[in-house]
Amino acid sequence: MEVINPRAALLSNYEVLSLLQELESDHLLRTKTALRVKKEEEASATAVASNPTVNTHLEASENLRTIEVEAISYLTADYLPTRSQTEEGIAGLVKNLAPFSLTKAEKLQVVNLSPTLPVELYVIVEELEDRLGEQIDEILEHVQTSLVAPATLTAKEAKPNGITAQASTDVSTAIVEEGQWDEDADAIYDEEIYDDTGAGIGVEGDLEMEDD
Amino acid sequence: MFCLSVIKDTMAMHPSNFGAPVEDALIAEINKKYANRVLHDVGLCICVFDLSQAGEGKVRYGDGFLWYKVVFRMVVFRPFVSEVIIAKVKSSDEDGIRLSVNFFDDLYIPAAYLPQPTAFDPNERAHFWIPDSELTTTSELLDTLVSDRMYIDQGEVVRVRVESDEFCDDEPGPPKVTEGVQMKREPKRPPYVVCCSIAEQGLGPVAWWNGASQVVDGDEMDEG
Repeated sequence: MEVINPRAALLSNYEVLSLLQELESDHLLRTKTALRVKKEEEASATAVASNPTVNTHLEASENLRTIEVEAISYLTADYLPTRSQTEEGIAGLVKNLAPFSLTKAEKLQVVNLSPTLPVELYVIVEELEDRLGEQIDEILEHVQTSLVAPATLTAKEAKPNGITAQASTDVSTAIVEEGQWDEDADAIYDEEIYDDTGAGIGVEGDLEMEDD
Repeated sequence: MFCLSVIKDTMAMHPSNFGAPVEDALIAEINKKYANRVLHDVGLCICVFDLSQAGEGKVRYGDGFLWYKVVFRMVVFRPFVSEVIIAKVKSSDEDGIRLSVNFFDDLYIPAAYLPQPTAFDPNERAHFWIPDSELTTTSELLDTLVSDRMYIDQGEVVRVRVESDEFCDDEPGPPKVTEGVQMKREPKRPPYVVCCSIAEQGLGPVAWWNGASQVVDGDEMDEG
């Protein structure tokens, strides 16, 4: 094993969450088909005929499942804004933040934590008053507009059999969108890269210095 | 919190996986090896982001595996120094507070990074902070009215700043059992520890700062 670059790029929480949710729905889909195939084989009772050594079903490892489930539970927790974020919202927010002289790391944290109160922004941005002064409210407004009301999400979960219902809808949407999904994931990623080189060239150097 | 790391490795693929598409099988293999594992000086690996390069699978003498040279990008949990993250209090003791983000729970706030003046209440098993107080010694602090204290309870959501992180790679060493006598084992150090701070305005339990005064009043009412 060789580590070529320990920190090639930074990822926002939203990107990680959507990647993990994709994995999760993929896994559910696979388990379902595997179960169905098994049942069919049992029903026809000619299972011996099929070649048991050829395995097209890849088992997800225990480690992956553990961290996937735990990370999703953290990222969708109600104390994080991640689940009320959308791809368009974040792209718009990053665009809106461009005119302010924020560093790359600060922008990432604004996206991850979505501060809606001045006190939250004070923690993220160093010397906020000196640097941004009256623009604080403007930034908070941009953040607020980038979030969708989590009401739709909570309503979904409030259903009596919320978990199963949600899981199955996730799976079905995953099937429909699977074709587009890769492109979408890349699009977010590329856009971030693009924004970084556009607005924070000097800053990028700062971040990499830490690694040395 | 999360970043991408580029890693190069040689993966072996078992013949039972030859039926699956190569790319999927490789990703599954890499995930099996790396997911939920701490890489020294890299961070905690979450899962594969994508494959950048993969060579031809080669067969070596002696086994039926196909060996692939792969370059891939991994999603890694490694908060950078001075990053602000939100975590939950897992437990507290005299030395500080231990935090958890569900998938990782070796985040610590040492007592030195708690807001001053602060003390540990052994009855409640929690640290508390007394805002705007002149008191300094622990005994003085423990004599104060409970209603004046602001506790950092277990399970509370806190906003913390990352101060430093440390990796330790303990060699397993030779077995320490000699002639059936079990030697005392030293407590294992966690491979990756993140040190955090709440000694700053705006940090600490989220409820202290969000909607500031009302929430604080409510807390005091509850405790009184």
